[in-house]
Amino acid sequence: MKKIVIFILICTNIIFAFDVKDLQALKEDGYCTQCDLSYADLRDIDLAMSDLSDSNLSHANFNNTLAHKADFSRSDLSYATFENSNIKGANFTGANLKNVNFFEARIWKGNFSNSHIDKCNFNESALGSAIFKNNNLKNSTFKDAILYKTIYKQNVIGIPK
Amino acid sequence: MKYLVLIFVLAISLISSEIKFEHNFDKALQKAKNQHKEVMMMYSAVWCPECSYMKEIVFKNKKVNSYIQKHFIVLGKDIDKDKLPSGFKYIGIPTFFFIDKSGKEKGRIIGGGKADKFLVKLRAIK
Repeated sequence: MKKIVIFILICTNIIFAFDVKDLQALKEDGYCTQCDLSYADLRDIDLAMSDLSDSNLSHANFNNTLAHKADFSRSDLSYATFENSNIKGANFTGANLKNVNFFEARIWKGNFSNSHIDKCNFNESALGSAIFKNNNLKNSTFKDAILYKTIYKQNVIGIPK
Repeated sequence: MKYLVLIFVLAISLISSEIKFEHNFDKALQKAKNQHKEVMMMYSAVWCPECSYMKEIVFKNKKVNSYIQKHFIVLGKDIDKDKLPSGFKYIGIPTFFFIDKSGKEKGRIIGGGKADKFLVKLRAIK
């Protein structure tokens, strides 16, 4: 019996890796700083102008989300996915962006300054007027991305091809 | 002399391929009726990079340009200067409203995109 209870507890922890209270706070208040929303499914939540800074958002699912001008600064977004999402003007400064999927995302005027970019998928995304400053763009892909007036400063790899 | 003629012809062809923006709704609608076209109303702003991208890059794409010229009268409205005609609402810019001969919205494209994808959306609406 004990083993069953332990097994259930482990499973529950895997399914709800995020803090349920934090998710509730985000839904009600539209912001949640220093939150644990790792592995959370945030697809149906309006995140426009939300403050999600300094949070654990690793493996979170933002696919098709409307999150323009959202603040993700200094958050851990490793393995998160933003496929086809609208994140125009979003702030990713100082965020951990390891293995993040931005495929077909609309990131016009997004700010990636000082973020840790590694193996990100920016393919077919719209990065017009986005800012890349102090980034390592070496291992990321930008195939068919819109790089119209994108700003690059002090990056390991300057302008992606 | 040959070169001068060539430059002149090229300049003329460039000017004629540029999409001309109308600014008056009623005039655009009348023009569309006369030419058996529909109105494509672009709601945009000068500070919006996505809007500039559409005007400076996508609208200059050969296929997009000729498709628009063939099927639409383009009406330009600026979010900071113009109000949308009554009955039209938007949630973001750029928004492209497609207006039939009676002046009613028959479809819209929200946001810009690469020329090939925009063309697919245009064809779907037409």
